[in-house]
Amino acid sequence: MAVVENTQQSLGSRFAETPVQTSLELLGEMLKPFRKEEPPPPQPAMGFFTDTSICIGCKACEVACKQWNQLPATTPFWSGTSYDNTRGLGATTWRHVQFIEQIGRGPSAPATSPAPDGQRPNLPLLDRQIKEAQSNGTIPQTPPGTALPFFNSERWLMSSDVCKHCVNAPCHEACPTGAIIRTEFDTVYVQQDICNGCGYCTLACPFGVIARDDEGDRLAHKCTLCYDRLKDGLEPACAKACPTKSIQFGEVEVLKERARARVGELHARGVSEARLYGVDDNILDGGLNSFFLLLDRPEVYNLPENPPRPSLNVAPASFWTVVAASLLGLIGIILFRKE
Amino acid sequence: MQMPHIAGKRAGEWLSPLFTAISTAPSTQDTFEQLARLTTGYTPNPEQEQQEPGYYDYPVLKKPFWDWEIIWYFFMGGLAAGCYIIATIAALFGSEQDRVVRRTGYYLSLLALLPCPALLIKDLGRPERFLNMLRIYKFRSPMSVGVWGLLSFSLFSGLTAAIQAARDGLLGRWWGARLLASLPQKLLAIPGGFASAFLGGYTGVLLTATSIPLWSRSKLLGGIFITSAVSTSSALISLVLRLVGAPAKTLHKLERLEWVAMLVEMVGLLAFLRQSGRAARPLVGTGPDEHGHTFWRFMFGGGLVLPWLLQTSALLGRKNKKNTTGGLLISLLVLVGGYFLRYCIIKAGHSSSKDAHTTLWNARK
Repeated sequence: MAVVENTQQSLGSRFAETPVQTSLELLGEMLKPFRKEEPPPPQPAMGFFTDTSICIGCKACEVACKQWNQLPATTPFWSGTSYDNTRGLGATTWRHVQFIEQIGRGPSAPATSPAPDGQRPNLPLLDRQIKEAQSNGTIPQTPPGTALPFFNSERWLMSSDVCKHCVNAPCHEACPTGAIIRTEFDTVYVQQDICNGCGYCTLACPFGVIARDDEGDRLAHKCTLCYDRLKDGLEPACAKACPTKSIQFGEVEVLKERARARVGELHARGVSEARLYGVDDNILDGGLNSFFLLLDRPEVYNLPENPPRPSLNVAPASFWTVVAASLLGLIGIILFRKE
Repeated sequence: MQMPHIAGKRAGEWLSPLFTAISTAPSTQDTFEQLARLTTGYTPNPEQEQQEPGYYDYPVLKKPFWDWEIIWYFFMGGLAAGCYIIATIAALFGSEQDRVVRRTGYYLSLLALLPCPALLIKDLGRPERFLNMLRIYKFRSPMSVGVWGLLSFSLFSGLTAAIQAARDGLLGRWWGARLLASLPQKLLAIPGGFASAFLGGYTGVLLTATSIPLWSRSKLLGGIFITSAVSTSSALISLVLRLVGAPAKTLHKLERLEWVAMLVEMVGLLAFLRQSGRAARPLVGTGPDEHGHTFWRFMFGGGLVLPWLLQTSALLGRKNKKNTTGGLLISLLVLVGGYFLRYCIIKAGHSSSKDAHTTLWNARK
């Protein structure tokens, strides 16, 4: 009842105003997109830690992401590249599970290469077998095709790729409308009501994450780190759905500590090729808020090792432009002055 | 082989036997490939490139959707900028005779500028939201700075051309025209000249500030674009002046400016190719999805080296003799070359974005 009264009052007051006031109000409405809003109070930086060493390739994250964010399905396509028919991140695919089949990897396999410090990996369950092998000098035979993973150099890497929420995000730096912002959780977010689909962000992103939806609303889309769920104190849909905790969500600093501990543990167990991507390597001059534990070189996962920052090109490119323009201007002046 | 889309499908079909004949001749294929290796300093090694790690050769980057709108915008924007620069130089430093350059330059600048905003707005995902570009000013984003630069240049170009029209009596004799004619055109042309230099060069900076290896590895694209803007504009102005008739001395000045600009452009392009190395393959190479055939034939060869040589011989052999046909030919070649510079850079950028191995190579420490 009170609400109704309120509405009536406001309607009444609106009509009672003079035309000047009404037009001023209208002008205010029109200028709304230009007004700078009060930002919400800052929160600790939030991000993802994707530990690919325990990813089982179930694609629950892909499905959960599609469902929560109401993203349309893409046209079914048989890629012929392992179990990966999604093939990449896109405007309507914000999580993408990669399947990397490493068959016949040669002698650099983890079981045959020593741990980095020269120590034998710490595998308490196998102590008895190792002692036996040392005493009689032979490795116990296993029937073909049944080799345990650590005796077998062939492996299947799986990784759930996602927006990296870079600390210095090239898409954010490139956006000419201010549609791409950093939220109070220090995530990178595209405001759909501001974006006009110029597509410059898609060229700036060195990971090929952000994309324009040319079959849909023709605007730029990417992972929002479930901004709506974060606002309500929930974790992102993909992290919630992940059955092995390969995708972990939390405060960036806490997650980074956890990632360092995890990679140390893996190294101690002899997985010497485990490495972190986006934690201490200062990618894009600040690291990534959504980082990864990888079991091979980043390039195997289609991740650039150390991508250049596009915005740092502006200064040298402008310099050479000014040099060329000054040179030609000077020559033009000389040519036109000479009689 | 790459078909240049000059005059639509029908012309392409009509010309295709010719193109095929030229491109399948083994000597041209070899020559272009040799040129590509020589200029980039990179010899492709497909076997080794396939050994490099990657993920099923899926692209690392997203493919640009910039196409003919942006190619024409870069070309027309370059002409608008270059014509304004040349007209301003002629107005501020030229002789009485050079007034014809100023007049033609300012009119041509505005004419070339007119389609630009429409081309840009059409290219947006949501054209009705183009005003959102003016919400903010962002120094780090070449797109944002470019929008403001284009806007301010439009103001100067429109005003300068309007003053010129009023002084030429094209606007009649009413008080508004008299007021326009009395405005200080030369004073306005100074900031306008800087704005035009910005417009001619920022497009290259815009491409450099991306992750596409071809566009971003060398930082010279802005310099090349502004140089091409000056060479194509002097070609356009001298083309028009030759057709309407102009003093030989004035034409001579334009020809020499064109000659210098082409020389600078050649040096710039060669430096660009050398600095880009492997990343420049999509532009100069002759493999599948590489645009070397179009680049060498219509841009570097036919659109730059050939007119430059013709211009050199014309300038050396000139004895106050007017060679209208030769001059027209040079101008046309330069203009076609300027168009194909933008065409090849954009199209080869598409190929560059699809090449995962080169993208990963470009991002190595």
